[in-house]
Amino acid sequence: MEEDEFIGEKTFQHYCAEFIKHSQQIGDSWEWRPSKDCSDGYMCKIHFQIKNESVMSHPGASTHGQTCLPMEEAFELPSDDCEVIETAAASKVIKYEYHVLYSCSYQVPVLYFRASFLDGRPLTLKDIWEGVHECYKTRLLQGPWDTITQQEHPILGQPFFVLHPCKTNEFMAPILKNSRKINKNVNYITSWLSIVGPVVGLNLPLSYAKATSQAERNSD
Amino acid sequence: MAEELQSMLQLPPSGAAGGEGLTEVSPETTTPEPPSSAAVSPGTEEPAGDTKKKIDILLKAVGDTPIMKTKKWAVERTRTIQGLIDFIKKFLKLVASEQLFIYVNQSFAPSPDQEVGTLYECFGSDGKLVLHYCKSQAWG
Repeated sequence: MEEDEFIGEKTFQHYCAEFIKHSQQIGDSWEWRPSKDCSDGYMCKIHFQIKNESVMSHPGASTHGQTCLPMEEAFELPSDDCEVIETAAASKVIKYEYHVLYSCSYQVPVLYFRASFLDGRPLTLKDIWEGVHECYKTRLLQGPWDTITQQEHPILGQPFFVLHPCKTNEFMAPILKNSRKINKNVNYITSWLSIVGPVVGLNLPLSYAKATSQAERNSD
Repeated sequence: MAEELQSMLQLPPSGAAGGEGLTEVSPETTTPEPPSSAAVSPGTEEPAGDTKKKIDILLKAVGDTPIMKTKKWAVERTRTIQGLIDFIKKFLKLVASEQLFIYVNQSFAPSPDQEVGTLYECFGSDGKLVLHYCKSQAWG
């Protein structure tokens, strides 16, 4: 376990491998994709989502029993040209691609993602922002350029959206410090992805939370 | 929403000190007796019992996050993580630019739509769900 909040690339790959192991156990379809020269690589997941249904951009959501609670709308329907209430299934299905790469300059993982309709039309940055979960929207829209930007994928060379990693250490530090304090192993990738994923519609099944402790018990 | 949560379970002053005074509350969950007035504050709609619609949550602060004076809450099973986050933010009077994260197992952030009832089933023990919370300027 690293003593500070940064992780080296080998450590990154190790955590990804552990993460993917669990993904395979539960059929969550994350894969490792090595780069051409196999010196590095990234984790990738493709997933399809139906837009403008009640389950919206949050595939991990179970029921939405927001009974009796006067809170803001959990699911805001994006006012989107592409939103079609009736049939035309192709225009309603969106393909999301999530890539987890290692950033040498920040020494943390970075979430790259892109989304397109089935006919290949990519979603715009505006579409992406509109799809951000309500609880992050206010903050994100205050300074979207600090958070979600469009960049070239370091390995594929194609345009992707990126969740900016500059604050990663800030929210990872307390978890890591705490895990050292209680002498418990934490999969950095699992913790990190559980935090950043929901911002862009990626929700991790709860079993990932137990996977690390299970691994500990198995190795004892 | 804040008022609703605040009308719920309140630790008696003697138990509030270290926040570890769980024993005062546990009789409610482990014995079949009807709830005593000490364990359930007025305003709770239904009696505590095995099939109660509310679960006990213990909130623990991580890092530099302020500690809540009341740490133990009875929360409806259908309350989402997002709802809980909003409540804690209001309770702690956090500013809009501060993000609050909630964790189970001290390491995993459930998605905002996750219901606490489900989390209790998966991660609860000793009749309660322990959630850690941490504030952060995660973005921007």
